Amino acid sequence: MEERFSLNSIKDLAARWFPRLPPIGTIHYDTTDFFRIGYGDALVLGKKAYYVRHNAKEGRFGLDDEEKFWVKRSIDLDDGSLKIVKLEFREKFQAHIGDFSFDCFRSPKKEARLLNLVSGHANFMHGYSVKDPAGNTVRVIDYIYGKTLHSHILSLQVGHEDFYHTLFPDIFKNFLECVEAVAFLHEHHEKHGDIRRDHIIIDRESGRYRWIDFDFNYLHRENIYSYDLFGLGNIFMYIVGMGDVLLNDLRKKNPSALDSLREDDLNIVFNNRVANLEKIFPYVSPSINRILMHFSKGAEVFYDNTSQMVNDLNEAYHGL
Amino acid sequence: MNPPPKIPKKILVAVDESNSSKRALVYVAEMIGGRKDINVLVLHIINEPEEDFFPKAGEREKWLSAEKEKTDSMLSGYRALLIENGVDPECIAVLSKVRSCPSIGDCILNEMESSASRTVVVGRKGVSKKEELLFGSVSNRIIHHAKDCTIWVVA
Repeated sequence: MEERFSLNSIKDLAARWFPRLPPIGTIHYDTTDFFRIGYGDALVLGKKAYYVRHNAKEGRFGLDDEEKFWVKRSIDLDDGSLKIVKLEFREKFQAHIGDFSFDCFRSPKKEARLLNLVSGHANFMHGYSVKDPAGNTVRVIDYIYGKTLHSHILSLQVGHEDFYHTLFPDIFKNFLECVEAVAFLHEHHEKHGDIRRDHIIIDRESGRYRWIDFDFNYLHRENIYSYDLFGLGNIFMYIVGMGDVLLNDLRKKNPSALDSLREDDLNIVFNNRVANLEKIFPYVSPSINRILMHFSKGAEVFYDNTSQMVNDLNEAYHGL
Repeated sequence: MNPPPKIPKKILVAVDESNSSKRALVYVAEMIGGRKDINVLVLHIINEPEEDFFPKAGEREKWLSAEKEKTDSMLSGYRALLIENGVDPECIAVLSKVRSCPSIGDCILNEMESSASRTVVVGRKGVSKKEELLFGSVSNRIIHHAKDCTIWVVA
């Protein structure tokens, strides 16, 4: 049952966390119409109140940020901490990967379930879910301060060989933990559903890599976990290459490298990316390259489950 | 002393709406002809989406009923196809099961065990490597994970 708060009680709570008391708008209990919930409003979820700052935005790989009206950056009025409050928003859509499309849907229930499952796990975002009076599943998530893995790699200012010998081992170790974390989900018959390099945040405080955003779901065909595995392969390729190694870039910067490349050396889905990175960076270890080749056009065998990939990654990491 | 009665052998044919399933059924019919000591079990797994797929109460039931209707019609068509190709009607059974399958291939193998079939037949759709990586392949899964049985893959 949700607590009832008066405007004055919200003001009193807010006064503890803001040097100058901001204006307090409407107090919302029912979150169904999330477009009406905006800056300065208060959200009451269960026994707690939150002060809404603004809608979250999500940019992807250099594209303009998209405003997510159902995701509110808010202040927990109990302790002043920043939270991401995700209100219930359902949508079904077709996702496209290369030439393929498949049915996807956004699932607050799945995210709520996973938040429970990964509670206390260092490689995931943390939070809890609560039902509002209208039955909407709202998720209150602890804000993680830090860069995404995508931005971190992009920001590196070293040559590839330096990167590989100095920075890469630590990134590899952290990524390995992330893959083990996904294996943990799979062992519990759950999938992450939206594995992308900008869905890993490097926690500034703990240094750990942490998965975010689990509300994406899809109708799987044969194997519920294949799509997650595909995502992991792409991220690993991105890490080893210190970014995507694109044919277009090679044409401009390293045209001689193109001579040695065959069709089989390219990423199986994104055919403009090189998977066989040993051909571009000869010091990449064969055991790392073998993992990458599972995601190449030349692959004859794919990983069947995440544990197989974890085993190979472990072996490659310890062989560095 | 009389010899023990012969237990009819059972072949499980796992099907969906694809042409490769029809090819698998026709192949099985041609292989066994009119023999009465081999039973054919035609199985379709209705892969039930996770609960999250149905936002409102009642939608799951509606979805399931539509799937079951579609499956019944498909299976009766497949039964007719087997008869048309010479299989004794008394040797044919059809079965649909609603399952939440992390892997459809594994669900088929479970059904093989519970139906005491020793041979599983599947059609191979010829999915591309790319498709197999993204979504998996039922026939490959079965080939890799089957134990103590025979697998026929009809391409």
